[in-house]
Amino acid sequence: MKNKVAILFAAIVLLAIAVPAIAHHAFAAEYDADQPVKLKGKVTKFEWTNPHARFYIDVVDEKGVVSNWNLELASPNVLRRNGWTSKILQIGEEITVEGSRARDGSKMANARVVTLANGQRVFSGLQGEDAPNQPLRQNQ
Amino acid sequence: MAKRLVMSSTLMVGVALMSLSAQAQGGQQRVIPAPKGPTPHLSDGKPDLSGVWRGGGPVQDLAVGLAKGETIPLLPEAEKLMKSRQSKDDPEANCLPTGVPRIAPYPWRILQTPTHVFFLFEGNIHSYRQIFLNQTKHPEDLDPTWYGHSIAHYEGDTLVIDTVGFNDRFWFDFRGHPHTTKLHTIERWTRKDLGTLVNEVTIDDPGAYTRPFKLTFTATLQPRDELMEYICQENNQDVPHIQGPARAQ
Repeated sequence: MKNKVAILFAAIVLLAIAVPAIAHHAFAAEYDADQPVKLKGKVTKFEWTNPHARFYIDVVDEKGVVSNWNLELASPNVLRRNGWTSKILQIGEEITVEGSRARDGSKMANARVVTLANGQRVFSGLQGEDAPNQPLRQNQ
Repeated sequence: MAKRLVMSSTLMVGVALMSLSAQAQGGQQRVIPAPKGPTPHLSDGKPDLSGVWRGGGPVQDLAVGLAKGETIPLLPEAEKLMKSRQSKDDPEANCLPTGVPRIAPYPWRILQTPTHVFFLFEGNIHSYRQIFLNQTKHPEDLDPTWYGHSIAHYEGDTLVIDTVGFNDRFWFDFRGHPHTTKLHTIERWTRKDLGTLVNEVTIDDPGAYTRPFKLTFTATLQPRDELMEYICQENNQDVPHIQGPARAQ
């Protein structure tokens, strides 16, 4: 019975994935899916705001220089509908982000996948039609 | 019970996988499957259109609503304007309303009363359309507005909404299809079954198009969803980073 409940839960999670997640602007006008980034750093700020939730991380390069990156997520409502809460990221937590860099070259990216300090991978839900398709949320 | 649970789970996984496959193919309408059932009616026999919906209008490109083989009859000056538009200037990217018939990619609710119908939008922006069932004529001295002045009546199972009095500021889609203050829209909203609401809309704007033309869009019921707060203006950092001409994606 437990397994069946687990299957049912998995099915519900999968159904949630099918929710469309087009943003309020054309994705590819702001982010370049051909410029994938993978960043590791400590969370300095988490903004649970519209039209996009955002978080900021301090990334230290090989020379020890610290730069603060601005990472865009989906809207809080899309995130909430896909299992996030405003408490999912902790200030100071070291995380890894995979996403697409802003076209204008600023230290900004669309965060597609976030790997939390506990190893859990969570998916932002923000994707343009031409962004790499990813499930919105997946438990490792 | 256990068998039923497994069967329904298998079905749900199958449906979900189909949806994912549709996403991977880059389909325009990426919505959860419509729930099945007959069209519901109000006690007075009118169609019950109430519920939380997704879709029902253009988001990325108006042309996806055209019948096969049809094209959008842009006037040369409208085409020129469209080609000059920059993605950063899309009012929706700037937290301004969608206008009509554009729909934002967020859930919205229809609220019906005997005298009014309201379209309540969750997102972008957190606003509403007010549609009068208790008026049969548009006022003559309308000032231009984002959603215009809407009067409506029922024709059988269809709600027919006639709207004029638009401003020329909103775009029809990400691509920047334009219009003028001469825009007149006639929307025919029909709930074909429990989960499906079809919007057949006629765009009549002699200021931007050579002739009236028709588009069809489908909204899907979101039976387990409720609207949530969405205040677009609170932290909109996108605009300075959006580059290039208006585009569908």
